[in-house]
Amino acid sequence: MTLYVLKRIVAAFFTLVLIATITFFLMNAIPGSPFMTDKSTPEQIAKANAKYGLDQPLPVQWWRYMTNYLRGDMGVSLKMQEGTEVTKILFGQGKFELSIRVGLWALLLAIVLGIPLGCIAAYNRGKAVDSVLRVLTTFGVAVPSFVFATLLLLIFAVHLKWLPVLSNSLETPASYVMPVLSLALYPSCYIAKLTRTSMLDAINQDYIRTARAKGLKTRRIIFKHALRNSLIPVITYLGPLAASIVTGGFVVETTFSIPGLGKYFISSILNRDYPVIMGTTVVLAALIVIMNLVVDIAYKIVDPRITLTAKED
Amino acid sequence: MEKKTFQLFHSDVEPLTQWQNLGEADFAPATEQEKVSMVEEHKSVSYWKDAWRRFRANRVSMVSLFVFILLLLFAFVGPSFIAYSYEEQYREAAKLFPFEKTEAQEAAEALLAEGADGVLVTNLLPGSQTYLKKGNYYITARNGKTIAFNLPKSKEKIILVLESEKTPALWYVDQKAYLSGTYEKTEIETTDAPAENAAELKLTTSFFPHIFGTDSAGRDLLARCMYGTRVSLIIGIVAALIVLVIGSIYGAISGLAGGAVDFVMMRIVELIYSVPDVLIVLLLQVVLKEPLQKWFDASQGGIVKAMSDLGVGVVSIFITFALLYWVGMARIVRGQVLMLKKQEYVTAARALGVPGGRIVKRHLIPNCVGQLVITTCLQIPSAIFLESFLSFLGMGVSAPMASLGSLCSDALDVLQNYPYRMLCPAIILTILVLSLNLVGDGIRDALDPRLKK
Amino acid sequence: MSEFQAEKKVLLEVKDLKVSFFTHAGEVKAVDGISYTLRSNEVMGIVGESGSGKSVEAYSIMGLLQSPGKIVGGSVHFDGEDLLAYTPDQMTEFRGNRASMIFQNPMTCMNPVYTVGDQLIEALRSHRKDISREEARKRAKEMLEQVGVNNPERRLDQYPHEFSGGMRQRAMIAMALICNPELLIADEPTTALDVTIQEQILELMKTLKGRNNMSIIFITHNLGVVAEICDRVSVMYAGHIVEQGSVNDIFYQPKHPYTKGLLASMPRMDMVEHERLIPIDGTPVDLLDPPKGCSFGPRCRYCMKVCLNNPPPAVAVGEDNHVCACWLQVKEMLRQKEGEQLE
Repeated sequence: MTLYVLKRIVAAFFTLVLIATITFFLMNAIPGSPFMTDKSTPEQIAKANAKYGLDQPLPVQWWRYMTNYLRGDMGVSLKMQEGTEVTKILFGQGKFELSIRVGLWALLLAIVLGIPLGCIAAYNRGKAVDSVLRVLTTFGVAVPSFVFATLLLLIFAVHLKWLPVLSNSLETPASYVMPVLSLALYPSCYIAKLTRTSMLDAINQDYIRTARAKGLKTRRIIFKHALRNSLIPVITYLGPLAASIVTGGFVVETTFSIPGLGKYFISSILNRDYPVIMGTTVVLAALIVIMNLVVDIAYKIVDPRITLTAKED
Repeated sequence: MEKKTFQLFHSDVEPLTQWQNLGEADFAPATEQEKVSMVEEHKSVSYWKDAWRRFRANRVSMVSLFVFILLLLFAFVGPSFIAYSYEEQYREAAKLFPFEKTEAQEAAEALLAEGADGVLVTNLLPGSQTYLKKGNYYITARNGKTIAFNLPKSKEKIILVLESEKTPALWYVDQKAYLSGTYEKTEIETTDAPAENAAELKLTTSFFPHIFGTDSAGRDLLARCMYGTRVSLIIGIVAALIVLVIGSIYGAISGLAGGAVDFVMMRIVELIYSVPDVLIVLLLQVVLKEPLQKWFDASQGGIVKAMSDLGVGVVSIFITFALLYWVGMARIVRGQVLMLKKQEYVTAARALGVPGGRIVKRHLIPNCVGQLVITTCLQIPSAIFLESFLSFLGMGVSAPMASLGSLCSDALDVLQNYPYRMLCPAIILTILVLSLNLVGDGIRDALDPRLKK
Repeated sequence: MSEFQAEKKVLLEVKDLKVSFFTHAGEVKAVDGISYTLRSNEVMGIVGESGSGKSVEAYSIMGLLQSPGKIVGGSVHFDGEDLLAYTPDQMTEFRGNRASMIFQNPMTCMNPVYTVGDQLIEALRSHRKDISREEARKRAKEMLEQVGVNNPERRLDQYPHEFSGGMRQRAMIAMALICNPELLIADEPTTALDVTIQEQILELMKTLKGRNNMSIIFITHNLGVVAEICDRVSVMYAGHIVEQGSVNDIFYQPKHPYTKGLLASMPRMDMVEHERLIPIDGTPVDLLDPPKGCSFGPRCRYCMKVCLNNPPPAVAVGEDNHVCACWLQVKEMLRQKEGEQLE
C-alpha cells in the first residue's frame, strides 16, 4: 500500500513536470512579447527581455523554471503586476482561496445532491419519481454551465433582485449561491445519472440475488449491498469531476466577476505574462493531479479487490 | 382432443380409456417433413434492422431525433427563408427587440401602404452606408419598364419612392419630415434609357421582420442563430470524425500489435489522459491563432480556403481535438480489439490462415462498429459543448462568424437590458446538446441491448 | 423403500406451476405446468438443458422471480402453507430461513466489498434478531468449520476474492445453512467448479443433508451428479417435466426418448469399449413459439402423427411413481390392453 502510494506520487510528480513543460513551450509559441506595447521600441523590449532572462535559449529558461519551482519559487510577474512574485499573486491576494472556496462547495454539493438523487431514482425505477429525475438530470448535463449561470443571474439578480449581480470576493453568503449552484449543476446531475446506472447495474449482479435469497429486506439490499458497489464508478468520476470544476471555474468566475484563479489565468494568457501562466497552470494541474491520486487511493478503501499494484484497465 | 394438464404423482394418472379412439394411423411414424414443420422458422432479423426497430420503439429517442432534424433544417435550410444574412450590418436597425421596427421602416411601410411600387430607405441599406451616393442609377419597375435617373448629389436619410402609375413616378422625401407629417415630395427626373455607368437599384417592396431582433451591430439575430447552429453542428461533427479516425486507427494498431508497441502506445495515451485538457486547450487556442492566420493568408487553395472560411478559431478547435481528445476513443477501440482477439471465431480464422487484414475487415470492424457509432455520436455534443465554452471565454469563434457559444458570449455584457439575445442562442444550444445526447443514448440502447437495463 | 418414503412428511408440493416471461416479442412460457412433491430429507434432482425452465421453477418457489417473469398459474405449498399467497414481507422472512438457495457461480455470488464473515453473520442476524454479534460470529465460524473451511477464524475476516472457487461455494453453503433451513435449493452448484472440487462439494452436501435433516432440490444438467446425490429425478424439457421417477428408474428403465437421449449422450462406467456417445439431434425448442404438440417432437426419433398436434399426457409406467409424458407409452399401453382383451 505504502509502496503503491509512493509510486503514484512519483507518477503524479512526473505528470506535473510534463504539464509544466508543455505549458512552457506552448506559451513561448504564443506570438508576441509580454513587453510589446504600441510605444515600446525594440531596444526597450530587448532590455526588458534581458532583465528577466527571456533572451536566453529556451532550454536554459526551461531548466531555470524547473529548478526554481522545486524550490517553491515561481518567479515574478512580467506584466500584469510587474515585479510581484507569482506565489504572492496566486496565494497572497486571495485568488487561490476564492477559487478553492467556490470549488469545494460545488464539489460537496455535487456529491451530497448527486448520490442520493441517483439512489432515489434507482430505488424507484420506472416510477414517476424516476422519470422526473431522469428529465431533470438529462437537462442538467445538457445545459452549458454559462447558460445556467446567466439564467440564474437573470432571474435572481436582475429580476427578483434577491442576490447580488456581482459576487466579487464572496463577502456574503448570498454571493456564494449562484456561483456554487452553476458550478455544481453539471457534476451533480452527472453523478446522479452515474449512480442510478451503476446502482441498477449492481442490482442485476449475482450477489444481489444471493442477498435476496438470504432473505434480506429490500432497503438493506439496496443501501448496503448495492450502494457500496455502485459507488465505485462514482469515485472514478471524482477525478474528472475535479477537472470539470476547474473548467467550470473559468466560466463562473467570468460570469459573476469573481477575481479567482480561473479569471486570472485567462487574462494572463491574453497578456502573455509567462510566469503567471506557468504558475496558474501548474497550480490548477496540481489540484487535478492530486485529486486523481486521492481517487486512486479511495478506490482501495471501497473495493477490496483492487490490489493497487497493477493498475490496468 | 382437449389439452390435458400435466400432473404427476398424487394426482391420478390419466385413465387409459380416453385414448381408445386413437387408431393405428395416429401411431404411425411422422415424416421428416412433418417434424420440421412443427417448428416455425423465424425470420432472422439483421443486426441493423433489429437495432432500428429498437430505436423506433424508444419514444424519447424518436422525439429527439425529430428535434435534431428540425435543428438541422433550421441551420442549413433556414437561412434561405429569411431576408438577412448573418454578417450584414444594418446600422440603423441595431439593438432591436424581437419584431421591433425602426422609425425608417415604419415610414417606408406607410408609403408602401399608400400604393408605392417600391421604396428605398437609405438608412436601411446594409453596412455603414446611410446615404445614396451621387451618380447614375436605373430601376426595373414592376411592369418591366426601365426607369433611369441621375442623382446629382449624395442624399442622406431619404426615402426614395417609385409610383410607376402616377406622376411624378419617382420622388423622395426626407425621412424625419415624413414622420412628422409635414413632408414635401421632391421629384426626380427620369428617362427610359440608363446611362452607361448606371448602377441598378433594387427597391424594397416589403420588410422582413427581425424575428429575434438584432445585435449591437445591427445584425439579424435569427440569421446569426441559424448560422451559429450550423457552425456549432459542423464543429461537433467534424471534431467527432477527427476523434473517430485518429482514435480508432491508434487504438486498432495498439490492440492488434500488442506487446511492446501496445505498451508504449498505451503509456502515451495515459500521459495525454492525465493532462488537464482545458488548461492546454486554452493555451493552444491562443498559440494557434496567429500561425494559422498566416497560413490561411499565404495559401488560397481548395481545402485551406474551406478552412479559412470557417475561421481560425474553429480550425484551432479541430486541431485541439486531434491532439488531445482521441485518447478515449483509442482506449475503447483497443479494448474492443483485445476482446475480439480472444474470441473463438477470430482464433479460428487465424488458425485457418486467414491474413490479418482480412480478419480486421471481416471480423473486427463489423463487431466494433456498434461501439464506434455510439462513442462518435456522444462525441458530437461534447465537442459542441467545448466550442461553446471556448467561445464564451472569448477564445473560440470570433465575429462576424458566429457560433452558439460566441452569440451567448456577445450577449453577456448586455444581459440586463437585452436578455433575449442571450436566451435565443442559449436555448437553441441547450436543445441541440440535449437532443444529440438523447439520440446518442437511444442509439446506444438500440445497438447494444446488453447495456440497457 | 417406496412404502417407507410415503410415510415421510410432505415438505413441498408444487402443482401445475406455470411461469411466463412477458417480453416485447410475446409471452415465453418458461415453465408450463409442472407438478411434483418433495418429502423431508429427500433429494430431488431436476435435470434439463439450459432454457428448459429448471432454474425459473426454483426461483418461483423462492419468490426470486423478477420482472418480466410472472407466475401465471398453479400452486406451491411448503409444509402445508401456500407460498404464493405470502406477502412480500412474509416471503422475505421465509427466504434464507426456512428455505435457502445456492447458485451456480460462486465467484460472483458473494458481495466483493464485504468480508465473508460479515455476509454470513448478516444472513443469520436478519432472521434471528435476538442473537448478538459475538454469538453470530461464533455460529458463522462453526458453519465454516462444518463445511470444511480450514482456519475459519481467519477466513471470516477475508474478502470473497481471497477464497478459491471451491472454498467460496463452501462458504455459500455455510451461508445458506446458517439458519438451519428445511429446504435447500441448489442451482447447478457444481457446474462452475473443477471435477475434483465438484466431488468434494457433493460429498459435503450429502453429509450436511444427513446431519441437518433437510430436503434438497438439486438442479443440474449433469446426469452423473444426479446419480450420485439424488433420490428422485425430474427430467425437464421446454418447461415440462417429461419424466419423473426414482434414480434407479430413470437410469435403468428410462422411458422418455429425451431421457434415453440424455443417457446415451453421457459416458458410463459400464460402457463397452469403443461404444460411441450419441448426441441428441437438433436444437432446443424456441419457447416463444413452441410446437403445438409434443415439444420434443421435432427432435424425437420416434415422433408419430399423434405427436404433431397433441401434447402428450402423463402416464404411470412401472412402480414407485415412475411417470412419463410420451405418446409412445400410451401406444404401448393400448397395445397391451388390446392383447389382454384378445386373450
